[in-house]
Amino acid sequence: MTSQESMPTARAERRQAKRLRRFDNPWMNPKLFWGAGLLLGIIALGLIGRFLWNLDLVFTGSTPLKLPPLGFENLRKQPGVLDYPLGTDGGGRDMLALIIIGAPNTLFVGLLASLIGMSIGITLGFTAGFVGGRTDDVIRVLADVMITIPPLLILVVFQSAYGDVSLTIMALLIAGFVWQSPTRLIRAQVLSMKQSGYVQMAQLSGASTFHIMFREMLPNLVPYLFGSFIASVTTSIVTAVGLEVLGLGPQRIPTLGRTIYEAINAGALIQNLWWWWGIPTLLLATMFIGLLLINLGLDEVSNPRLRKLS
Amino acid sequence: MTDKPVLTLRDLSIEFPTPQGVVQAVKSLNLTIHKGRRVGFIGESGSGKTTTALAVMKMLAEPGRVAGGTIDLSGTDVLALDEEKMRMTRLSRIAYIPQGAMNSLNPVMRVEPQLWDGVIAHEGHLDRGELKRRSDAALTSVGLPIHSGRLYPHELSGGMKQRVCIALGIILNPELIIADEPTSALDVVTQRQVMQTLKAIQAQIGSGLILIGHDMGLMAQSVDELAVLKDGELVEHGTVSQIISAPKHPYTQDLISSVPLVGGDSFLNAERNAPAPQRDSPEPLLRFDAVSKNYGAVTALHPMSFTLQGDTPQIISVVGQSGSGKSTMGSIMLGFNPPSSGRVLFEGQDVQHMTAAQSLEFRKNVQAVFQDPYSCFNPFYRVSHALRYPYKRFGLAQSDAQTNQAMAEACAAVGLDPDLVLPRYPHQLSGGQRQRLIVARALMLSPKLLIADEPVSMVDASLRASILSNIYDLKDKYGISILYITHDLATAYHVSDYVMVLFKGHVVEAGPPRQVIGDPQHPYTRLLIDSIPWPDMDRSWGDGRQDWDPAVEEAQAAKVGAMYRGDVSGFELARS
Repeated sequence: MTSQESMPTARAERRQAKRLRRFDNPWMNPKLFWGAGLLLGIIALGLIGRFLWNLDLVFTGSTPLKLPPLGFENLRKQPGVLDYPLGTDGGGRDMLALIIIGAPNTLFVGLLASLIGMSIGITLGFTAGFVGGRTDDVIRVLADVMITIPPLLILVVFQSAYGDVSLTIMALLIAGFVWQSPTRLIRAQVLSMKQSGYVQMAQLSGASTFHIMFREMLPNLVPYLFGSFIASVTTSIVTAVGLEVLGLGPQRIPTLGRTIYEAINAGALIQNLWWWWGIPTLLLATMFIGLLLINLGLDEVSNPRLRKLS
Repeated sequence: MTDKPVLTLRDLSIEFPTPQGVVQAVKSLNLTIHKGRRVGFIGESGSGKTTTALAVMKMLAEPGRVAGGTIDLSGTDVLALDEEKMRMTRLSRIAYIPQGAMNSLNPVMRVEPQLWDGVIAHEGHLDRGELKRRSDAALTSVGLPIHSGRLYPHELSGGMKQRVCIALGIILNPELIIADEPTSALDVVTQRQVMQTLKAIQAQIGSGLILIGHDMGLMAQSVDELAVLKDGELVEHGTVSQIISAPKHPYTQDLISSVPLVGGDSFLNAERNAPAPQRDSPEPLLRFDAVSKNYGAVTALHPMSFTLQGDTPQIISVVGQSGSGKSTMGSIMLGFNPPSSGRVLFEGQDVQHMTAAQSLEFRKNVQAVFQDPYSCFNPFYRVSHALRYPYKRFGLAQSDAQTNQAMAEACAAVGLDPDLVLPRYPHQLSGGQRQRLIVARALMLSPKLLIADEPVSMVDASLRASILSNIYDLKDKYGISILYITHDLATAYHVSDYVMVLFKGHVVEAGPPRQVIGDPQHPYTRLLIDSIPWPDMDRSWGDGRQDWDPAVEEAQAAKVGAMYRGDVSGFELARS
C-alpha cells in the first residue's frame, strides 16, 4: 500500500477510534456536555456579569421606561440603545442587570431545594429499605401521603400568609415537597439490592451494616441518585417559578419568575413589550433544556444499552 | 417422515459490531431441517445457538445483523420479508418457546386471553366461542386442564407456565417450533414432563423442532439430529445415536464426557492426600436440634436433627427438587434465616444468639458458595475487593503484601491466573471464572464448614466437573467439611460421603451415596433418578408414555416412610 492510499484510511481509523473511545468512556457523552454547557453558561452569565455590568440598574427608575433591545423599535418608535442592550422594563429597570441577578437566583433556589430534598430522601430511603418493619411502614406511608398533596396549593397558602420570604426559606419550603420520590426510589433499590448476591457475600464477610449501606450499596446507587437529583432540580425550579409568577415568593429580590409576574401585571403582552417577559422565559427554557440533556446523558451513562455506536 | 425441508440455512453468517471490532457470532452455517424432525442445537453459552434461532425469527438484538447467507422457510426467503409479512410469519409459521416461561407471560392477564391474542393477531377477530374452542384445544393438547385457562400466571407452577408457553407456540400449528432451553429453569422431574409434552405435540402437528440446549443428556432423550456449535461454527452434525456413540470432533467428545453419570467413571482426582488439620473444639462442628421452618401455613422444613462432627472433612449432600426445603436448610445454617423452632448449634453455640465477637468468628468459620456467580460480585469494585475485604475483616491479613500473596495462592489453587483475573471488574469475567473466584474466596478464609448451595447449576456443563473437583480436592487439603446442596444426583453420587434426599421438607432416604443413589429404594429417590436425562440412547427416559404424571408418583412416594440406608462415622442423622 502506498502512502497516499494509507492516509485517508488512517484518518478514518482515527475517527473510528475516537468514536469507540467515546463508547468506552461513558462520561464522554455529547448530551451530558451540552446540558452541562448550557447550565454553566447561565452561571457564567451571573458571575461574569456582576463584574462587567452596572448592577445598580436593577433598581426601579434607574433607566428610561420600556426601551426595546438593541436593533428593535418599541411602539413609540424608540430605538434600542447600547446603554441598555436587552431593553428596559416598565418600571425603569435594565433587563440585562435583571437577568444577571435573577437567573442565578432561580437556579440557586432549585439546587438548594433539591440538595436538601435529596439528603432527606437518601436518609429516609436507606432507613426504610434497610431497617424495614414498622419504621419502613411509617416512612413509606408518609412519603405516599405527601406525594398526593399538590405542593403549589400548600405553598400558595403558606406564602400568602407570611408575605415576603427570603430565597433560602423558599428553597426550604420547596424541599419539603421534593424528598418523596427519591425516598421511594432509593427504598425500592435498597430492597432489591438487599437480596443481591454481593450483599449476602458482604454479610458472609462479617461486614457491618454501615459498611454494607455505604460501601457496598451506595456506589451502585450513584447513577440513580444523579438522575433523581436532576429531576428534582427541575421540579423545584418549576415550583419556584410557578410561585413567583403568581406574585408570591421573595418580593424585593429579582428572579426570573418575579420578572415575568411584573410583566404580566403591567400588561406587557398587550403593549407588545415582548422582551420583558420573553427574555426570562427564554432563559428558563434554556435551563430546562440543559437539565433535560443532563438527565438524558446520565441515563446513557448508567445504562450502557442506550448508548449507540454512532 | 417426509423429505421436504422446513428450514434451510445456507452459509448463514451473523455478526455483531462492538467497540472491540466485529464479532462473528455465527460463521457460514449450513443446515437443513426436515418436516417432523427434531434437531438439537448444542453448545456452550456464546456459541451462537440462540443467535441463529433469533435470526430465523428476524428478531436479532441490535446491533446484530445477518452478514451473509440465506434463510429459507419451506420456500419463503425469510430475509427478504418486510416487517409486516414477517409479523404474519411469526407464530403462524415459526413459533418460539422462550427460556424463562416465568417472565414470558403477562402477569396481569389470565392465560386464555393471552392465547387468544396470537390468534386474533393473525386471523382477525373471531367470535368468542371459536376463540375459546381454540384455546381449550391448545391447553388440552399440552396436558393442562381446561380451567387453567381462567387462571393468572402466578397461580401456575413453573412447569405449567412452561406448558402454557408451548400451548401458545402451537396454537396456530406452525411449521417450525424453536424451543430455547425450555426446561433450564425447571427441576429434573418437571423437565421430563415438559419435554414429553413438547415431543408429543410436535409429533402430533408434524412440525420441525429446533431444541436449543447445553445438556447432552436432555438432547439424547429428546431429539433426532444434533448440531454441535462452537464459537459460531457448526463442528458436527448427525443423528443423535451416531454422535453419541461415535463423536468425531474433540469438542463433542468433551461435551459428552463432561456429563457426570451415576455409577460411571469419577471425574475426581482419585488420590487422597494429606491428613486434615486437627480441630481444637470437642463440640461437634454443626448440630441441628429439631430445626423446622414455616413460612406462614407452609412448612418448608419439618423438624430435623443431625450432628456433623467435622473431625474428618466430609461432604454431606442434600438433594431434592425445588421447593424441597434444601435451600432453606442452607440459609438456616448460615444464620440468614431464623428457624421457626429448634436450634442450630455451631461448636456448641446457638447461631441465632451470638455476641458480635462470636458472630465474626462464626462468619469466619462458616462460608458459602451460592448458586448465581453473576450477582455475587459488587459491580462497582474490582473482583479483588471480594477477596481482600473478608480477609482483612477477619484479621487474617498481616500486611498488604501478604494479603496479595494469599489472594494469588487462592486463585492458583482453583486454576486461575491471579494477575489476569484479580484486577478485573466482574462483568469482564465469565460465569465459570467468577464461580471459581468465589470458591477461592471461601478457601482463602480457611473456614471449617463450607455451604455450597447449587454451586455449579449456572455454569456451563464442561466447567461443572472442574469446579466440583476443585472443591473436592481442597476439602482434604484444608480440612473443610462441606454441605453440598444440589438437585443434581449424579454429581452428589461422586463427591459426597453421605446423601440426604429431601422431599417436601422431610428426609425420605439417607445414607452413603452408593446405596442411596446407586441403588435407590424409596419411590421418590427412584422418581428423581429416573427423571435424569442420560446421554445414552438405550436408557430410555421419555418413552412416549402419555400417562406418566409426576403428581401421581409423588403422591405415592409421600405415603412411604423414610428409609435409612447405612451410616458413616462423623455424621449422625436422627431417625424420625
